Parts: sequence; structure tokens; C-alpha cells
Amino acid sequence: MSTCPQHIIDYMHEYLDGDISREHEQVLKQHLKTCTECQQHMHQLSDTIAFIKSAAHITAPPHFEEKVMKRLPRPKSRVGVQK
Amino acid sequence: MDALVNKRIKQVLKGDQNAFSDIVSLYQHKLYQICYRMLGNKQEAEDIAQEAFVRAYINLHTFDQNRKFSTWLYRIATNLCIDRIRKKKPDYYLDAEVDGTDGLNMYSHIANEEDLPEDVALQMEFQERIQYEISRLPEKYRTVIVLKYIEECSLQEISEILDLPLGTVKTRIHRGREALRKQLNKL
Repeated sequence: MSTCPQHIIDYMHEYLDGDISREHEQVLKQHLKTCTECQQHMHQLSDTIAFIKSAAHITAPPHFEEKVMKRLPRPKSRVGVQK
Repeated sequence: MDALVNKRIKQVLKGDQNAFSDIVSLYQHKLYQICYRMLGNKQEAEDIAQEAFVRAYINLHTFDQNRKFSTWLYRIATNLCIDRIRKKKPDYYLDAEVDGTDGLNMYSHIANEEDLPEDVALQMEFQERIQYEISRLPEKYRTVIVLKYIEECSLQEISEILDLPLGTVKTRIHRGREALRKQLNKL
């Protein structure tokens, strides 16, 4: 799709990771002002992140803890409180 | 939380197995979530998440208490998930039980096998679609994307969990984002 230089795409990712340098950010901003293809690319990347982040929180099924405790091997020593 | 966890770890190491239940209780949801997002299947996710806790229990004496427990635990879980994904037989899911109670149905089961026709993908419930797109990612991108955007781990944490150089983690996240972007915009 893109005929734009790869380093611009790299800067987009640096930007998204929050570790872009001032110079790179300047270059990226200047380029985005004039290039609609890269603007679209950048939007798509932001939308992609928003999409993944909207995944619902998943919780462990009921009795998970109990089941894990049952799967543990028997303790070798008995220092703990006896029931 | 780390202080409590380290206290419980010491108790477990002294032989008090019951102290481990607090550790399970604290991390169960996060651990299950990683496994579910990696594997896209509830039964498998539960099995692997439980196994991860069992392995953590057995190997607890090797954990360095100056480090973050969650990093160590996530590492056990992601390794188990990756092993499971690599061993997966192509026809494994097709006769698997479909349990649709949470709006997650057979789509999430067949998702790993092949891409669905576009119109089917478009009709999916939103949450189902997210899981479907995650499971279409190659495993090495899927892992970093799940840790970064679902678990909200920092790049540094991800590098420790996966025992990969920070640069490699960044590259995989960049490629993972590009792969997802292409998947989403093909439709």
C-alpha cells in the first residue's frame, strides 16, 4: 500500500510506544501534514489499539482456587497449622 | 501486595500449603485471562492456568523474592500456553464442547484453524470478534499483544516475562500491531 518511507512507519510505532524522540516526532508530524496515506495508516493503527483494548475483562471460572489447591502435590513436611 | 505475597511465599516454603491459596486468589483472574486470550478456549485456559499455579507451587523455592512475583508467574503461564499452541492438532477443536454462556461460541473454537469468510466475521458479536482477531495472530505476536494491551504490562515487564531483549519485544509489538491492522482493514 504505502510508498512512504519505512522510517515514517517506524516513527509511528515509536510514537505509539511512547518512546519517540523529539526529532523523530517532528519529522513524523511534518510528514503526516502532507501525506494522506500515512495519516490513514496512523489512524488505522490507533483504531487497532482501541479495538484490542476494548476486550472485556475475563475472570477465572468459579471454584478455580479450590481446584488448584486440589491439584497441588501433598506437602512433604507438616509445619503448617493442622485442621 | 508484594509484601503480602512474599509473606505467603515464605509460609508455603516452610510447609504451609494452605498459604498458597491466597496467592492463587490474588492472581487467578489475571492468569486465567492471559491463558484465555492466548488459547481462545475456556477449558484449555482453565487447565493451563491451573497447571501454571501448580508449577509455580512446585518451583517456588527457585523464585527470587527480590523480583516481581507476577512476572515470574506470567512467564510460567505464557510458556505453557506457547507449548500448548505449538502442540495443537489441527482437528482438536472441531469436536470440542461448545459452551456459549459468555457469548463465546464455536467461532472462538475454530478461529485458530482457518480464517472465516468475511461475512461470517462481520456478523460476530463484538467481543467474539476481538478474540477471533487475536487468535489469528501468529503466536509470537499474539503473546506480546496480549501482555501489552490486555494485561497492560510495560515493555520492560514483557521483556522479563518472555526473557527477550527489549528491542525484540518492540519489534514484535510493531509487527503485531501491523498484522492486526491488516486483518481489521481487509474487511
